[in-house]
Amino acid sequence: MLVRPSLCQVDPLDNPAPALSADVRRRPFFGLFTVPAVVVAIVFTIAMAAILQYSVRAQIPGSLEVGGFTFTNLTAMLRPLYARVFADTVWLCLLTAVISLVLGYPLAYALVRSTNLTVKSFILIVTVTPLFLGEVVRTYSWIVVLGNNGFVNSVLLKTGIIAEPLQLLFTVTGVTIALVHVTLPVVVVMLAAAISHIDPDYEKAAESLGAGPFRTFLTVTLPLSGPGIVAGLTTAFAWTFSAFATPQLVGGGKVNMVSNLVYQLGFANFNFPFAAALCVAGLLLTYLSIFVMRLVLRPMEKIGVH
Amino acid sequence: MKRFLVSSAALAVTMWAVPAFAAEKLIISSWGGSWKELIEQTVAKKFKADTGADVEFVTGGTIDRLNKAKLAKGNPESDVTFTTSHVGWLYANDGLYETLDMAKIPNAKALVEQAKISPYHIGSWAYVYTIVYRPDLVPAGIKFDSWADLWKPELKGKLSAPDFDTSHLVAVAAKLEGAEAADWKKGSAKLVALKPNFKAYYANDAASQQLMQNGEAPVQVMLSMNAYYIASQGVNVKVAIPKEGAVLGVDTVGIMKGSKNVELAYKFVNTLLDPEVQKEIATVKKGSPVVTNAKLDPEVAKLPGIFTTPEQWDKESLVIDHKLRAEKTGEWRQWFTENVIN
Repeated sequence: MLVRPSLCQVDPLDNPAPALSADVRRRPFFGLFTVPAVVVAIVFTIAMAAILQYSVRAQIPGSLEVGGFTFTNLTAMLRPLYARVFADTVWLCLLTAVISLVLGYPLAYALVRSTNLTVKSFILIVTVTPLFLGEVVRTYSWIVVLGNNGFVNSVLLKTGIIAEPLQLLFTVTGVTIALVHVTLPVVVVMLAAAISHIDPDYEKAAESLGAGPFRTFLTVTLPLSGPGIVAGLTTAFAWTFSAFATPQLVGGGKVNMVSNLVYQLGFANFNFPFAAALCVAGLLLTYLSIFVMRLVLRPMEKIGVH
Repeated sequence: MKRFLVSSAALAVTMWAVPAFAAEKLIISSWGGSWKELIEQTVAKKFKADTGADVEFVTGGTIDRLNKAKLAKGNPESDVTFTTSHVGWLYANDGLYETLDMAKIPNAKALVEQAKISPYHIGSWAYVYTIVYRPDLVPAGIKFDSWADLWKPELKGKLSAPDFDTSHLVAVAAKLEGAEAADWKKGSAKLVALKPNFKAYYANDAASQQLMQNGEAPVQVMLSMNAYYIASQGVNVKVAIPKEGAVLGVDTVGIMKGSKNVELAYKFVNTLLDPEVQKEIATVKKGSPVVTNAKLDPEVAKLPGIFTTPEQWDKESLVIDHKLRAEKTGEWRQWFTENVIN
């Protein structure tokens, strides 16, 4: 997963001028091919700048035009409701990331290490297929499964395990289950890539020195898959932060994430400036959370460099 | 297969490149799905037959289209726009609509008072947001004669209402406290008291229908047309008209300022208000016609929430001033989110 800089980039300190021209000679279309990326980058920057300037403008009730410069949107975010939605969002993202990791690791491990082709194909199909369905389709199926008359409750009621239907829809539990389903394929694919990079000889060496399979896994395989775990966790976190349809449909307005608030404020309240301010705050919070996560997980990532 | 693809691509390019075939073309902005079909099969059909002009649609959500119209101010993408009465006021406030010359819409003489929204936009059809319930899933013997019945403790955890527009309940709570929507704060304690009865809030028509169909929320503040739609799918639902009136919703039509087909646009609006077209719309969608001279089949006319007589329009509807609603929707919604939903 980690890119080794020395292999891919020409070190500018090492004889800079010839290196650059050699670089250009080797990749004559480099400039031309980067044009689309630059255009996209410019468009995104302009869009972000527009959101940024909207976030400090006043709302005019009954109109979509925005008023003058103001900080009201930023101070309004400090109200308990909004602070709570931000905290809930971070919590849901963490929960989703960790559960996806715990569920995804054995799957990814079996996917890479299984010698049985049928098992491999089965795991691959089961994990990757959800990616081909849209988020909305997947979420609707969860509504059918989690509802009071849904699959889970019907089975539990019929088998006599519960007397009253479990309230799964419109709760944090329900939203988390659906979010994990959305994130799991990505986490499995990332973990599988990391695990496949671990040289099985390390594990054999551990075994030859007397370590049992459990100890080998804990002391060799797991630490070596550190970069994959870090990448999987942070991607799942950021991925979940932008979730919209899942909390909207499974949360039924009772479990709200930042994206849902942005939608409600923009599309139901016509308060675009406040919605923009929430977008900016959400973006900053994602950066901050990922930065903190990376900081905390850095030791793990280092172990994995092999 | 390849040849087929190439030829269909060529055909597509030709069709795109030679739109001048059609004599004249009117562009209509509306919601997609069943709404576009409704317009296409009723008013657009008659309009095409009468004028020989062609009709094209640009579709999208209410606010998406408003945003697009705002960006294209002065050189609009569409000639005629369908939207809700209060969002129509946002179009008008932003100077996106023509002032309507009623002399050019002779059929508007029969327009009901409640559909004369502003000098810029008028009703195209009407519906109500009212109490809809599943008789098999609510406590036996419960009746919805008044909006106050929604507050009954037996309905704990059974209710749903739209989270995108809270104006219905805000106006109802104010009314139950003897105030008008403008004095909505008088009903705020009552709204908070409704909190335990909510099961969920729905974000769109599809979610509302699903919650009703699967019984998750068997009592709803629901769009009458949606209720009749799921009833036609075999779901046992009842539409109640409380004595305070059902909250009237009017979808509207306006002509875009800067349209190059203003005359044709007037003809389209006039066709929309044709009694026969209004009858067809009411029959398909189970909504109210907005003209007094549409003759509905008795089977349709008798449905609760379909208004055909002046008495029904007066007594059975609860009207929230559309302009007030356009200005206050955001504030109400925000208050509701902060105090009831969360």
